[in-house]
Amino acid sequence: MSAFESLRIAGSGLGMHQTWLDALSHNIANIGTVRSTAEDAFQAQLVVAESREDGGVRVREIALSSAEGRMTYQPDHPLADEAGYVRLPDTEMSDQMAELIMAQRGFQASAQVTKFAQDTYQTAIGIGQR
Amino acid sequence: MSIGGIEGIPGVGGFTPFAPPTVPATPSAPAVGDAPSVGGVGRAGGPDFGELVLDGLDRLDGVQRTADQLSVQAATGELQNIHDYTIAATQAAVTTQVTVAVRNKAVEAFTEIMRMQV
Repeated sequence: MSAFESLRIAGSGLGMHQTWLDALSHNIANIGTVRSTAEDAFQAQLVVAESREDGGVRVREIALSSAEGRMTYQPDHPLADEAGYVRLPDTEMSDQMAELIMAQRGFQASAQVTKFAQDTYQTAIGIGQR
Repeated sequence: MSIGGIEGIPGVGGFTPFAPPTVPATPSAPAVGDAPSVGGVGRAGGPDFGELVLDGLDRLDGVQRTADQLSVQAATGELQNIHDYTIAATQAAVTTQVTVAVRNKAVEAFTEIMRMQV
């Protein structure tokens, strides 16, 4: 419905930021996930957004960070190899927290746009009313 | 005794019975539009008001149905995104308000015409 374009576009922004928040929540939850060196490290989800032709934003893909991870020396870890190494995810908690704030602020901004759109519709309805 | 003044209106032949002006039925309403030269106002070539309101009501029904389905999904825990429901609910609310506003305008116009002194 073309009358609700700004609502639809703001909704697409809300959706994209929601996906981003979900991905960040997944990454932060797995920030300490340890894998053995024989398998891939935990790969953080990186949301790739793209603009839409008809307005709005969509998630193009969810890329994954490197499978190599960070080799850490933890000889007493049950998953450690003969040399005493394990794989930790290649993500920083501080980066994830900063992105979390960005995603949250973006979500709030889109929500604010829906509020303004609603106010605009109310104004349009009110034209000519006594 | 005849009253010459009444009988003898020359060329008319007395009183003619009152013929009420015939109003064409609604489907053939373009009779008004056929004479755009009168005042220069012709009928706009679009759907008439009734169709417009019916179309709006149909759309309102669809929007409200979507919002209802999403509210059921929210209650049953199947809703993927909260904002899907809130946006659908907002659309339903605004569409309802638009429809009511159009209805009010129509009723207002009708009342205004009924109040006209003839």
